[in-house]
Amino acid sequence: MKPTCFTRGVLSLFLVGAITVPLLAADPMEEIKQTTDKILSIVTNPALKTPSKTVEREKLLHQAVYERFDWEEVARRALATHWAKRTAEEKREFVRLFSELLERTYLKKVEDYSGEKVLYEGETKEGDYATVKVKIITKKEKDIPVEYRLKKEENNWFIYDVSIEGVSLVNNYRTQFNSILLQSSYEELVKRLREKNEPK
Amino acid sequence: MAERRIKGEKMKKIDLELAVGLFLIAGILCLGYLSVKLGKLEIMGERGYDIYGVFSNIGGLKVGSSVEIAGVNVGRVKSIVLDDFQARVVLNFRKDLSIQEDAIASIKTRGLIGEKYIEITPGGSEKAIKPGGRIRETQPAIDMEELISKFVFGKI
Repeated sequence: MKPTCFTRGVLSLFLVGAITVPLLAADPMEEIKQTTDKILSIVTNPALKTPSKTVEREKLLHQAVYERFDWEEVARRALATHWAKRTAEEKREFVRLFSELLERTYLKKVEDYSGEKVLYEGETKEGDYATVKVKIITKKEKDIPVEYRLKKEENNWFIYDVSIEGVSLVNNYRTQFNSILLQSSYEELVKRLREKNEPK
Repeated sequence: MAERRIKGEKMKKIDLELAVGLFLIAGILCLGYLSVKLGKLEIMGERGYDIYGVFSNIGGLKVGSSVEIAGVNVGRVKSIVLDDFQARVVLNFRKDLSIQEDAIASIKTRGLIGEKYIEITPGGSEKAIKPGGRIRETQPAIDMEELISKFVFGKI
């Protein structure tokens, strides 16, 4: 009986190992690459380019982008010192409004994709944080440096900030939100976000 | 008589020399004080605490440049070294000020071509950066020339 118990133990150990290894191996650059490839395959798919498919295309893009971002972290960092003053309900609403705003502003740019190349330059990891450097080469051979900042949660990497040409997205909104909040009120900020999000 | 007069003159001479000497010492002390003040040297030991940040480009930031929050001077740049082809900048902050973990340090230019300084935009995290710790979020100096050239030469 004993040897079978032992082999069973070893076998189960191997099984556990086999399951946990791929989870641990999650690589920030690999994940960014996957998401980018997914988005590019949607954008360049000719079957989705017809006007009747725009809704489906938008939905697919939304899904691909949405799962890679940690929206609460982005919103929390953008509101910065004002985040703690908000109630749980307000926070939830703000995360939703802010993520919608970002999607609205940036997905339009993604949809204008016209054969730009993406070069993966490298990643740096430090504990639960990582940065991935990417270069986008336009058709006119100009390169735009982009830096993704990611945070690990449950063995997955999520983006919480994007720097384009060295200008951070979070910092941009942080200064804007801060000046709005100091001049007027939180209600005014939410109102402005809503107005921006209304479809034209 | 003559002997006494010589003695008196000698005393006077010593008085004069003493005054000049004292004046000189006072002058040197003033000079020392000025150079410490102007050079922002710290000889009375370290005040405040240090935090470091790694920037991809500091674009002419110098040791002694100011660190600001909302335009208020809260510290200064203590040292700049090249580390793995990136700039490692040590910032010295006042002791009573704590910087949140998700604060962003960005290198800014005063005016269009003015001096460089570091602006910290405070974050919302409850965790503060410990003395000697690292400010993770950094924004490099924006190269105006490069940006302009992108606009100017961008179109064919």
